[in-house]
Amino acid sequence: MVRAVALALGALVLFPTFASAHGPTRQKVTETVEINAPADKVWGVIGNFQDMSWHPAIAKTEGTGGNDANATRTLTLTSGGTIAEKLISNDPAKKIYKYEITKVDPKVLPVNNYSSNISVKGEGDKSTVEWKGAFYRGFMNNDPPPELNDEASKKAVQGVYRAGLDALKKKLEAGG
Amino acid sequence: MRLRAHNGLMILAAALSAAAVSGWMTAAAEPAAVHPFTEALVTNQTGDSLSVVSLADMKSVAEIAIGGNPAGIAMSPDGKYAFITSPESKELVVFDADTRHVAKRIKVGEGPLGVAAHPTNGRVYVADWYVHKISVVDPLAGQVVAQIAVGDSPSGLAVTPDGKLLLSADRDSNAVSIIDTATNTRLKSVPVGKRPFGITIDKGGRRAYAANVASDDVSVIDIAAGTVVGTVPVGHRPYAVALARGRAFVTNQYGSSLSVFDLSGLQPVKTIDIGDHPEGIMADRTGANIYVSCWFDNVLMRVDTEKLAVTGEATVGDGPRAFGLFLR
Repeated sequence: MVRAVALALGALVLFPTFASAHGPTRQKVTETVEINAPADKVWGVIGNFQDMSWHPAIAKTEGTGGNDANATRTLTLTSGGTIAEKLISNDPAKKIYKYEITKVDPKVLPVNNYSSNISVKGEGDKSTVEWKGAFYRGFMNNDPPPELNDEASKKAVQGVYRAGLDALKKKLEAGG
Repeated sequence: MRLRAHNGLMILAAALSAAAVSGWMTAAAEPAAVHPFTEALVTNQTGDSLSVVSLADMKSVAEIAIGGNPAGIAMSPDGKYAFITSPESKELVVFDADTRHVAKRIKVGEGPLGVAAHPTNGRVYVADWYVHKISVVDPLAGQVVAQIAVGDSPSGLAVTPDGKLLLSADRDSNAVSIIDTATNTRLKSVPVGKRPFGITIDKGGRRAYAANVASDDVSVIDIAAGTVVGTVPVGHRPYAVALARGRAFVTNQYGSSLSVFDLSGLQPVKTIDIGDHPEGIMADRTGANIYVSCWFDNVLMRVDTEKLAVTGEATVGDGPRAFGLFLR
């Protein structure tokens, strides 16, 4: 799994960057996973903005501001790239936090203006984790190359979410 | 010059013949009929469609394929036609709202997004995200009849109620252009906050409100003076503004909320939690309700402007933006 994500992210290293207006159609991705563990336990793993070690593609999380709004973190990927993120809001009672990417090279993740939230809903001993993202494609002008078009950006984000949620399920159901 | 004169004659002839058939020119030349709005037409960008929502019971009654990932919308003054921008197919789509079918598709520039209809002259203005110009479209003739150079990545457009001025939120210039619609020339560029997107003019044509996506505030512009008279902090990533009951209602995309502020003192009133990624917003004629499209949640929400609370919602297609004026 780690290797798959690293490969997916690594494959994007070749593309140049752009500095003008983003593309015209914002994309959305929603991925969920059901986990045989109570919501408090799941939130205990994913609820700390400063620790994303539960995701197999993340080698290191470094940040400031803890879990308060406007806290920041820099994720270092196992593939070597980095993603800078900011916490928009955090509601531990509702088990949801919202964040945005403040800086990422499209060759690391082919998205622009990315925002996201991750939440846990529980029912007894079971939980559902939902991870939602909104973003524009990696190529910010008209007529994108296929590697940076809407589909490619969606696929990349889906890959990140799926890898993270599947690993989270595995970790929690194994008793970790 | 020769081309323009030639086009002008062609357009006039086309307009006259089409007007005789449709009666549209007659309708457009009169003041907009003052009946309550009964429908919302919501552009679903990722769903590539238009949802028709009945406002009386907040139910989606139709979803029509549009093509080109529709985003922006404006209404003809009589409410019979919607003018929809489809940025991916680079078109202005003329939608017959009574019969609910696409009446015409007009190629416009490279990245049509914001759109506004003139109250009397029959023209439709289309902002081009990539070409940095506003196309003046004659929808009857199906042609672009003029282009107006503005700032970078013009986004939201609005016309003053008297039809004399067109305002353009030039997103990547951090400015609002004020344009003379008689001559199609820019009179002034007014510096505002960072990355203005939606722009709304009050009923008196005195002030305009531009939502600044990157500075999380709204610039209040005195239109006659061409100056910013106030800057109001709002929530995260504001998108557009509606005016009702002497208050402004601002959609905050990342905040999943509406910021409400008082128009006279420019003081905050309340923040209302709403669906995820709220975008297009518009007040009904009386100002009793405003309607908000929530892009991530695929709903159109109704907010009571006195209670300052959500009182209804309708499920629409995927990725509703409704960027512009979408009630009829």
